[in-house]
Amino acid sequence: IPVSSRQAFPLPSLPRKQPTVLVVCGPAQNGAIGLVCARHLRIFDYEPTIFYPKRSPDPLYRDFTTQCEKMDIPFLSYLPTEVQLINDAYNAVVDAVLGAEAEASEGREPCAAILATLKLIRIPIVSLDVPSGWDVEAGSSGGISPDVLVSLSAPKQCARRFLGRQHFVAGRFLPYDVQKKFELNPPEYPGTECVVALRAPR
Amino acid sequence: DRGCPRAGPDPAEPGSGRGPRPPGVPSSLPSQEEAQAIDQELFTEYKFSVDQLMELAGLSCATAIAKAYPPSSFTTSQPTVLVVCGPGNNGGDGLVCARHLKMFGYEPTVYYPKRPNKPLFEGLTTQCQKMDIPFLPEFPAEAALIDELYGLVVDAIFGFSFKGAVREPFGSILGTLQRITVPIASIDIPSGWDVEKGKADGLQPDMLISLTAPKKAAVHFAGRYHFLGGRFVPAALQKKYALNLPPYPETDCVLQLT
Repeated sequence: IPVSSRQAFPLPSLPRKQPTVLVVCGPAQNGAIGLVCARHLRIFDYEPTIFYPKRSPDPLYRDFTTQCEKMDIPFLSYLPTEVQLINDAYNAVVDAVLGAEAEASEGREPCAAILATLKLIRIPIVSLDVPSGWDVEAGSSGGISPDVLVSLSAPKQCARRFLGRQHFVAGRFLPYDVQKKFELNPPEYPGTECVVALRAPR
Repeated sequence: DRGCPRAGPDPAEPGSGRGPRPPGVPSSLPSQEEAQAIDQELFTEYKFSVDQLMELAGLSCATAIAKAYPPSSFTTSQPTVLVVCGPGNNGGDGLVCARHLKMFGYEPTVYYPKRPNKPLFEGLTTQCQKMDIPFLPEFPAEAALIDELYGLVVDAIFGFSFKGAVREPFGSILGTLQRITVPIASIDIPSGWDVEKGKADGLQPDMLISLTAPKKAAVHFAGRYHFLGGRFVPAALQKKYALNLPPYPETDCVLQLT
């Protein structure tokens, strides 16, 4: 995800003076991937800030949190409801709130409030795997509209409804027998790249 | 240097009697003890897991190899690579590397004679096996056989914790590797070398992939390609140990030093 974020938003092109990025992490695996993404963004010289209101008790994910904290990545204590504050402070938002596994959490706080805010922001959103709040198969009308989608392993059904600028697939780790078993037909990854851009939808 | 004013000792060259440093090698090279301390701090303070860092390290190695020896450059009919894995973490790095080499279109084969009874290594072995990477039951008896079958050998035998005598079967393996003509890519430290002083009559790899930071032995490396990998060291830790690492390009996980 951080590699595709970098490809979509190269450092020199960012509108704000500082390469700030807000990473919004949900309570489960999608959020944990967001934490890993934030750490790598930091290594790539971005300035990530994390909003992680509901922390997973999973020890692996707790360690991801520690790694971010020790790398001086700030954690917001609340997400401003005043959307202009977010628009002004950051160049982009990484949406790591809900993934393909989410069903019940969507309606529950704090996800519902977060998604309501994300629907109103004007800066680009990069969604991890599934735009949060979308039904993993049917998509969503009236949900968030990300600028960039990074499908993990393989695109989900709802990706067909994605209308943003760039769609990346990050799944070069899938063994061949898994690919065959699920008839995934992944694209060719160039060289040693771990992400590949799919043809833009429009 | 007639006519050139003497500027005094080069401040980038600490100590004396070190001799010329290969270009691209940063000025502050961790000793064996410092390398171990950095590792410890990553695990205990930063709470990285061995799995996380090993995966990133192994990926760096495969990426560096792909840059220096692209599949099209092999003279063998397939881009075959022999990955020799030792009994510790360097061997684990080799297993990860083999798996990514397969993903990148190479045909790796692994020789892994001494396998730790730990879930981490068992998992890595399974991942390789499930990707149809063969594990040799025996090490090729002759250097000439290796030269015929493989276009490259990855040395993942010993790393920065290595000390003392080389135990079998690795002594014989290193002996054979010293007689092959195909290039060797060593992970972190050329196996058998003293981590600080090197080994004049030891393995002479064509490529070295230093992980985290080059160790002191790297000044004795005389091969063609020196890459830096393991792009996970937080800025604060780099400062604390005065690593002075040059910047990686963009989102690359490796940096070519020479």
